[in-house]
Amino acid sequence: MNFLERQLTDPVRFARIKRWFYVSLAAVALAEIVVLLVFHEEHHLPFESWPAFGSLYGLASCVAIIVVSKFLGKVWLMRREDYYDS
Amino acid sequence: MILDFSKLEWMHPGLLLILGAWVLPLLKGRVKRVAMLLLPAAALGVCVCLSMTPEPELVLGRVDNLSLIFSCIFSIMAFLGMVYALHVDDDVQHVTALTYAGGALGVTFAADLLTLYVFWELMAISSVLLVWQRREKSAAAAGFRYLMVHIFGGLILLAGIVLYSHENGGELAFEAMKPFAEGAGWGPALILVAFLLNAAVPPLGAWLPDAYPEATVTGAVFMTAFTTKSAVYVLIRGFAGTELLVWLGAAMAIYGVVYAVLENDTRRLLAYHIISQVGYMVCAVGIGTALAINGASAHAFAHILYKALLFMGAGAVLQVTGLRKLSEMGGLYKTMPITLWLYMIGAFAISAVPLFSGFVSKSMIVSAAGEEGRQWIFLMLTLASAGTFLHTGLKLPYYMFFGKDSGVRGKEPPVNMLVAMGLAAAACVLIGVFPGLLYQLLPNDVVYHPYTLHHVTSTLGMLGFTALGFFLLLKHLDPERKVSLDTDWFYRRGSAAFIALTQRPLVRLEASFVGEIYEFVMRRLVLGIAGLLREFDTRVVDSTAVGVGRLTQTFSQILRTGVSGNAQHYGLIMAAGVLALLALAMFVI
Repeated sequence: MNFLERQLTDPVRFARIKRWFYVSLAAVALAEIVVLLVFHEEHHLPFESWPAFGSLYGLASCVAIIVVSKFLGKVWLMRREDYYDS
Repeated sequence: MILDFSKLEWMHPGLLLILGAWVLPLLKGRVKRVAMLLLPAAALGVCVCLSMTPEPELVLGRVDNLSLIFSCIFSIMAFLGMVYALHVDDDVQHVTALTYAGGALGVTFAADLLTLYVFWELMAISSVLLVWQRREKSAAAAGFRYLMVHIFGGLILLAGIVLYSHENGGELAFEAMKPFAEGAGWGPALILVAFLLNAAVPPLGAWLPDAYPEATVTGAVFMTAFTTKSAVYVLIRGFAGTELLVWLGAAMAIYGVVYAVLENDTRRLLAYHIISQVGYMVCAVGIGTALAINGASAHAFAHILYKALLFMGAGAVLQVTGLRKLSEMGGLYKTMPITLWLYMIGAFAISAVPLFSGFVSKSMIVSAAGEEGRQWIFLMLTLASAGTFLHTGLKLPYYMFFGKDSGVRGKEPPVNMLVAMGLAAAACVLIGVFPGLLYQLLPNDVVYHPYTLHHVTSTLGMLGFTALGFFLLLKHLDPERKVSLDTDWFYRRGSAAFIALTQRPLVRLEASFVGEIYEFVMRRLVLGIAGLLREFDTRVVDSTAVGVGRLTQTFSQILRTGVSGNAQHYGLIMAAGVLALLALAMFVI
């Protein structure tokens, strides 16, 4: 049983990984805001200076891509696997 | 002996591969494997030498920073691909793969449009063999479709070249063109369409996800690199700053991502992400600033390495398990940990995670869009970045290596495949950690710093929250056993529908009009003439023959009366003859 298998199959360890994941997400979003306020780096576009724009836009993009693609797939694009064979 | 670099003009690295490839079938065993690696290494060596020569020259070629960065990465890729294919015992694949790579190098160094066209077609024809060599029915069909599309594209290119040359007084040099300028004519526009077809820009790009997943395990790795990226190169050369490309590229980046959500076939999912990534490059070509062109070149360089690595990973799984559908996989991390980790390096690189190659190349393009104040393009490209991480970095490894355990147990692939993946992974990390290595090869002198605090934190935030979205919506992402319609529908099903639609009028036309004509021509005309000929035959030809026969018969019957076979009659005739001669002699003389 390798290292990865131990981490994923043991519920206690898996819960710990999950906790660290959420903590690091919060840390990254916070870091984004702090960097924006402390170091005034050069921006070209207005929304780049919105607080935690990267994080929020990432989440919104992810949800939008999944929802829109699945919708398009269901109503139009997806066909049976043997569609081209018949 | 010191190499004289100025004498290199006769040694075209593309021809080195194309001609050298034919040596491989003559060799065996270890010598052959050494030659397989030596050929691309030599091509890379020539490229490096050319880059160190002050004023390099090449027969039929042009050497500058732009052609050198692309030729270097093409040679490196040919080498990595050959390492990956070392265990394959199939000369056809090796020869065609090297010819294909040689064709790409030929395109890169082409100074005139006809040379470009020749190498362009060579790439199409050699690469289709990498699809056919999988020797399966679906591969044969996909190969034919691939060839058909590329022959069509080649014809458009040729037509464009002929028109361009005609419009410019016989000019054939390959320089920047203005397809939408006043009085530009059709030539540059047709050339642009042919380039866009090879760059897999929708709606001309369906050939890519159709053919690449059908290629052999090792052939697909070569295919990911050359066709689309040589198209990016010629777009930079010919059409930098064309506004249309900005929007086509950004739309293309999202288009690939949308299809990747729906895809179940591992290599087809990755193929849609080639389209998405090439979209960034096409967009950068359209923006056309010095930074954007550097970004397109750098991204092509980094992309070839990580995309090859990803295809190598998916190919390794296909090789050892025989599986290509995500819905049939799961739990492979237990038995293929090395493949998993190497794949993940490629996945981090394509997702532009800091310290991996995609971060230092993709960000140049996004920053170039930002510097030009193109807000929508910036947002579209960033959205596509989230999609890239979602699929290549999360969905594919999740369902392939983790997820529900399918019970399938693979083992690690052959060592040479792992070595090739290791080399590509090392390059991805090296470029990510030391971006200067890549930046010094770029065509324009622009100072760019990828590792700013803002850029690193916003990228990490974007990626982290994409991952959050993925885990929240995981149950909606389960791969479905479906295929998705793309523009290849038009030549796969559209043609059948067209035939069904036109069948009835065609049948009617055939029965009435064509049938009548047939009736008239066959019955009246052909049979009539045949009757006349028969009459002529019986009357003239036959009676002549019969007449001659009768004449001979009559003549021989007359002769027969004299030929009785009786010796006394013959003696009498001889005596009569002698008397007649004597009488003649007496009276005449």
